[in-house]
Amino acid sequence: MKAVKTFLLILVAASFAGAADDCRLASGWKPDGPSRTFTADDLYEYLDGGAEGYLIFGFVRLEHQTCAKGADSLVIDVSEMNDPDAAYGLFAARRDPRQPLRRIGMGGEILPNRASFAKGKYYVELTAMPGEEYRPTLRVFTVALEKRLTGRSTPPGALAWFPRGHTSVRLIPRSVLGLRPLKRGYVAEYSNGQAFVVTEATAQSAAAVLAALRRRFAGAKEAKVADEAFEFNDRYLGGVCIFRKGHYLGGYAHLHKGTEGVSLARTLASRLP
Amino acid sequence: MTYRSSRRSFLTAGVVLPLTGATLWQETADRQAASSASAPQFSYRVLGKTGLKVTTLGFGCMITSDAGVIERAADLGINYFDTARGYQGGNNERMVGAALKRKRASLVLSSKSGARDKQRALADLDTSLRELGTDHLDVWYLHGKNSPDEVSDELVEAQQIAKQQGKIRFAGVSTHDPKVIVPAMARKGVMDVVLVTYNFSMDPGVAAAIEQGNKARLGIVAMKVMAGGFRERPGRGDSGTREKLKRAGAMLAALKWVLKDRNVHTTIPSMTDMDQLDENLRAMAEPYGAAEEKLLARQLDFITPLYCRMCGECTGMCARGLPVADILRHLTYTEGYGQFALGREEFLKLGPAVAAVRCADCERCTVQCPFGVQVTARLRRAQELFA
Repeated sequence: MKAVKTFLLILVAASFAGAADDCRLASGWKPDGPSRTFTADDLYEYLDGGAEGYLIFGFVRLEHQTCAKGADSLVIDVSEMNDPDAAYGLFAARRDPRQPLRRIGMGGEILPNRASFAKGKYYVELTAMPGEEYRPTLRVFTVALEKRLTGRSTPPGALAWFPRGHTSVRLIPRSVLGLRPLKRGYVAEYSNGQAFVVTEATAQSAAAVLAALRRRFAGAKEAKVADEAFEFNDRYLGGVCIFRKGHYLGGYAHLHKGTEGVSLARTLASRLP
Repeated sequence: MTYRSSRRSFLTAGVVLPLTGATLWQETADRQAASSASAPQFSYRVLGKTGLKVTTLGFGCMITSDAGVIERAADLGINYFDTARGYQGGNNERMVGAALKRKRASLVLSSKSGARDKQRALADLDTSLRELGTDHLDVWYLHGKNSPDEVSDELVEAQQIAKQQGKIRFAGVSTHDPKVIVPAMARKGVMDVVLVTYNFSMDPGVAAAIEQGNKARLGIVAMKVMAGGFRERPGRGDSGTREKLKRAGAMLAALKWVLKDRNVHTTIPSMTDMDQLDENLRAMAEPYGAAEEKLLARQLDFITPLYCRMCGECTGMCARGLPVADILRHLTYTEGYGQFALGREEFLKLGPAVAAVRCADCERCTVQCPFGVQVTARLRRAQELFA
């Protein structure tokens, strides 16, 4: 058993190190300097304040490698996160939601000089410079790196909860909708508002959170959605409808004038397990 | 029930809302403003030679995910907001721009570029302006410069060009090494503002450097004011203590500690929710006193013995040849981040000779940490876990 564990550990470590280390995945490219590893303690040295955006998702370490081909430079950053959901969360937070989502690992995007994707516990970001157009090169590296990394290629199951028509789904690692009681959850963007789902540990704790929110938004009106629900208007959240279904809290916020929040919330509730 | 819209002109992902909605928002905005919160008390300072009057509590937007928090901060009266080209892959600037659009003219807005040459820095600036939906930045920082050499002539030239073009009002540099950069910028005279890490856990040399910067009329903006010891670290196993300290107000105390230094003009703690915003606002109204002193002392006690800062300033060398800083780092992998396998794997890479050493065999440790990390205890803990 111990030998199996050791083997698996070596396998995971090798797959991680190899991804950042090898610039020769595309013809003509070679390493430009040694690879570097950053942990939560020194990520600031590399990303400055941007490091906080990694740490908040559950960051473990980042392998950094610069590659060169003539005057062109390519930076490969492979971040290991606590779990695949965190890796997807970081990807979704950093991707450009105006660009198409590609089927690379759990999800990816390739822009003229930047590419990114998440697979398993890993979030990969490639940046090419100084030119304007590197998509062919980025595609080659992305495909090769995706093959090297182990882990899940299916996006978090939570994405399927949201009805079609959203432009993006993000994992919000802290304070969904800017409300502290909604600790961590997913938010989907629609043209007429935002849908969200927060998973609590138990139905009781979810009910307690809902009760706290109800107290906070005085004047909220009861609504008939799932186990319990209410709706209200708020200066910063716009039209809001929040419901509880078992240990899930979900609903819509930032709804436009004229949008029927309750019916949207019912549809969302019906899609939750 | 149908809804009236909020005044946000974009959702956080950058989805444009119809103009009709924006008009309706404006109608209800002022009426609702008065009732949304009791009026907080503000304090202001002048941002060095810029002459800008800024609230001592600013807003670091880098990890904020809901634009409503930023918008509310501006409505309440905070007037300094900070972002950067690189935050959230560029998405942060778009959200900040949308959140502050209505009040842009009355706010001080800063962003940063991490580019290393003039051309790319100026291209970054144009992208920042486009994404923020503004024609100028009040302060544009060179991002993350930790040695004077990194503040190169061509980057300074980029800032001067941007000033001449009216794209920025003032030039700045951000750093994690204030002791080096602030005196250097004070001497060089090409910067208007410096953005520095500054908190209660730092040595007095940082405060002295900041004082020197203020005397040279540099605007001083403080970041990382809460200190890394407050950061959530899954698996650390000390969450009880940390939570107690947080509940007792240690984060607010940390902010007050920075604000009591008159050489600091504003601060940019990151804020993710309305509650945090309300808590931080109190820092401007409440004094720093004995209760805060006590809380921060406990917080220092909490973080100091455990965490090696990798500063390289340990005095003495291990008589048995142990790479002390490396071992403490590997211990942090396990106790800080719950990564036992990684910590052990890295420890074992140091080789069998290192793994064989037992600190218990030495009568007295020859290595001392200037910040108070209990070196012997931590090494023994690593040997107990890994060797």
